[in-house]
Amino acid sequence: MNLIAAGDIDPAQSVNWLLPPLSELIYGGIASIIIFALIYKFGGPAAKKGMADRTAKIQAELDGAAEALESARTEAEEIRRAAGDIASERARLLAEADEQAAALLSEGRERLAAEIADLEARAEAESAGLAGRVGDELRVEVSRISSSVVDQLVAETLDDATQQALIEDFIQKVGARS
Amino acid sequence: MSDALIDGYARALFEIARAEGNLDEVEDELFRFARSYESSDALRAALTDDMVPADRRQGIVESLLDGQATSTTMQLVSMVVGSGRGRDLPEIIDSLVARASASKDLAVAEVRTAVALSDDQVSRLKAALTNSSGHEVNLKVVIDPTVIGGVIATVGDSVIDGSVRTRIDQLKSRL
Repeated sequence: MNLIAAGDIDPAQSVNWLLPPLSELIYGGIASIIIFALIYKFGGPAAKKGMADRTAKIQAELDGAAEALESARTEAEEIRRAAGDIASERARLLAEADEQAAALLSEGRERLAAEIADLEARAEAESAGLAGRVGDELRVEVSRISSSVVDQLVAETLDDATQQALIEDFIQKVGARS
Repeated sequence: MSDALIDGYARALFEIARAEGNLDEVEDELFRFARSYESSDALRAALTDDMVPADRRQGIVESLLDGQATSTTMQLVSMVVGSGRGRDLPEIIDSLVARASASKDLAVAEVRTAVALSDDQVSRLKAALTNSSGHEVNLKVVIDPTVIGGVIATVGDSVIDGSVRTRIDQLKSRL
């Protein structure tokens, strides 16, 4: 570089513009080897440790992800199972409701039938009682009317001559008593 | 009303009628009035209604008997009704009739018929009842249409029933 910068360097001298002088290469190479050896010696373990830690960290993350995946799968399975339970519970409840409804319906029909039978029996009894009462009242009324009619008919048939005959008959009978 | 009160009123009426000298006539009129009273719901209601003033009840009696009975009879009935004893009038009068009959040693004979009796029939019936009861009777005839026909005679506790009414009742009970 100094040769380039200095204008007074002899262009005839053989200088490679790309490669440094051999000695510089040797010294530089040795220095580089030493530096690389030092780096390898002192920085290698740290780098290895860092790589191992990173690997462990990535592995841990992978394991965590796998666990999360497994957990999600388990949860999903539980949800699916729960959904299945809900469906079966729903079916059970519906079946139970249907059963209760059928029982209620049956009971209601039986009660209704019993009430209808009771009402019919009472209606028949009342009807019979009413018929009996009406019959009794009718008989009483017929008796009363017939009694009244008999009185009236007898009174009408008793003319004055009959009345006098009855009185005379009474007087004679009483007179005959002693 | 107690028997003592009824007897008391009857004795008072009896003494007044006897003092007036027309006991027989008054007794007969009172007897007929009592039977009319018994057979008429309207008359009973008018003479026993406590809401009707006493003078009004007495006015009813006087208007009914005026010209139909002696003044003694009218005043006696008016007195009983005015004193608020209208309900007991038949019993008082019956007691009076019994007392009057007893004073003449007669038994009261109440005869019920559907039609009026002639004087001859009354006389013969009286004789028949006297013969039958063995006691002279004071005959009281009541015209009662419910008898229908024949005669019902009551002398003391004895009843001689020859009425059509009773025969019909017997027939009905048998049926």
